[in-house]
Amino acid sequence: MPDAHPTLEANSDESLACRIAEGPPGSTDAEEAELYRRFAPRVRLYGRCHLRNEAASDDLVQEVLLLTIERLRAGEVRRPEQIGSFILGTSRTMIQAGRRTTRRREQLSARFGLGKEEVTSLSDAALDGPRVAACLGALAERDRLVVMLTFYADAEAPRIANDLGVTSGAVRAIRHRAMARLRDCVLGGARL
Amino acid sequence: MTASRCEQITVADLTDYAGGECDATATAALEEHVFSCVDCGARAAEFDGLLRAIRSAIRSAGVGGFVTDAVLNRLSRDGVRVRSYTLTPGAIVPCAVWDDDEMMALRLRGDFGGVRQVTLTRRIAGTEVARVTSEVAGDSSGEIVHAVPAAWIREVPAVEVQLELLAREGDTERSIGSYTLLHGGVLHRRS
Repeated sequence: MPDAHPTLEANSDESLACRIAEGPPGSTDAEEAELYRRFAPRVRLYGRCHLRNEAASDDLVQEVLLLTIERLRAGEVRRPEQIGSFILGTSRTMIQAGRRTTRRREQLSARFGLGKEEVTSLSDAALDGPRVAACLGALAERDRLVVMLTFYADAEAPRIANDLGVTSGAVRAIRHRAMARLRDCVLGGARL
Repeated sequence: MTASRCEQITVADLTDYAGGECDATATAALEEHVFSCVDCGARAAEFDGLLRAIRSAIRSAGVGGFVTDAVLNRLSRDGVRVRSYTLTPGAIVPCAVWDDDEMMALRLRGDFGGVRQVTLTRRIAGTEVARVTSEVAGDSSGEIVHAVPAAWIREVPAVEVQLELLAREGDTERSIGSYTLLHGGVLHRRS
């Protein structure tokens, strides 16, 4: 389906934030969705690093970005030109406070009509499941296991090193090599 | 002319970050940049998409190979139906795949003392059909786990499958164990 607002992609983050802050209620749905699309992956990655939990990271995305949009709409973001810093700060605050405010998220979701499906980024849509599986299968056995343990089983580095009988430094080097190859294979179309 | 893109944050940096390998200072610096730089934000988004795709592919039981219990436990928590067979050297074990199985875990036992690299061969009716080598060694429990997507096994007719684990020691190989699966094909549950 063609993007109904193709020109929004050319807008800066600052411009999007200002349009949401200054627009009449109900007139900036497309801008909000674009802001969500841009920052959801970054907040999720942030959550992954600090929470080490996939589901909690998805929750964090919802909470942070819905709150951001709420604050923008209310004119409570003092510097919309630094919207990235605002979102990062909000992410930090929410994690530090240990808030798992599911109820609040549900209230915000209902109020703004933003569902989880909108978290999906363009990069997700471009990733072909069977190809990703094939690219994983094409990795060396140990490289693939390090990727599975790190990014699927959420195992800590010392545990991985112990299980594989190698040093933590070796695990890190294996992971670098494996992710570079996976990225090339999945996104670069390298031959399997 | 193409405008130059910011390359301050690399895939290796993002790999360390997502893998929990960064110290507090490096983490804070990376986050400040990723949340304010369009190019690096896009690279982070691409990396996040890759991580999600990896998890999805593994969760869909489409990826096999040598694994550990940490992976199998996570698969179970994700609701993946894993059927396990524990095989001791010389064992002849009847096996089958049910129509709702998603992954088969072969727990291969043997003496892995001092072994740093193993090769697993799979023969069907005497013909070698697969050979995988890995530096993954068996742990102190004397067991190594090899996962096979059930979808692959469904393609195999009822037949005798012979597995052999070999350890490389210098220029030679020694057998850790031979295992025989009497594969009965696909079994269907009555509805």
